[in-house]
Amino acid sequence: MSNLVVSNISDGTTSVGTGYVVNGSAKAWCYLNGSGTIAVVSSLNTSSLTDNGTGNYQINVTNAFSSEPAHFGLGGNVSYWAANTTGSEIRISITNTSGVLVDTNRVTGAGFGDLA
Amino acid sequence: MTQHLWTRLLEAKSRLAPVQSKYRVLFEDPSQPDAPAAVLVPDPNWMAAALEGNILPPIDTYLRDREVPDGQPKEHPYAEPIGAMNEEEAIEYLIMKDIPPQVWRDYTGNRAILRIVPVELIPSDRSYRNAWKINQLEMAA
Repeated sequence: MSNLVVSNISDGTTSVGTGYVVNGSAKAWCYLNGSGTIAVVSSLNTSSLTDNGTGNYQINVTNAFSSEPAHFGLGGNVSYWAANTTGSEIRISITNTSGVLVDTNRVTGAGFGDLA
Repeated sequence: MTQHLWTRLLEAKSRLAPVQSKYRVLFEDPSQPDAPAAVLVPDPNWMAAALEGNILPPIDTYLRDREVPDGQPKEHPYAEPIGAMNEEEAIEYLIMKDIPPQVWRDYTGNRAILRIVPVELIPSDRSYRNAWKINQLEMAA
């Protein structure tokens, strides 16, 4: 693999420091199918998914974060969600509008922060 | 100089086709006796990296890093990668990495709390998902 070492990226008018680009990228993300036979559809930097029960999943990270992710965001066919994170795992709970845990066929999540 | 693990993972993802494992790992955590059985699903990109070799660090680096509090330097991102595993070895690695040690190492009870199964044995009907337990009768057979 070859490396391009630059401090800034410019389109000719505006420029941004490569540090912002690198630090602003998601360090781990996962798209999972949480219905039927649970599966990881696509991902980066995840080693496995733990199905802990209805609407209750855990994403296990291959290269841990230095501490918990600075930010974890979640989307997909999800009404409400909560996440409990450490440096190496992200526990997700998906609920409906009544607060009941539910499965959903599309859950996408991304973690940002410094890696270990 | 060894590349950082994340860099190796990025490079592997761009090069290797994902591999869907034919196995799942069913387990029950003895510290949560009322919880349903959990199912560990290997990540396809991770499995591709495990089968390829020279990407993932030795499992013992993860085990040592378990004892390191978050925020402290970890060993596994900087360790020399190990060679290729077969799928069964990769599943054993994953069990040690992603399942709590009280399940695969410390448990001394009689109940079977961990089982590697073909993916076809995991029910796709999740209507009673929170009642799933490992079938002890079948284990004894």
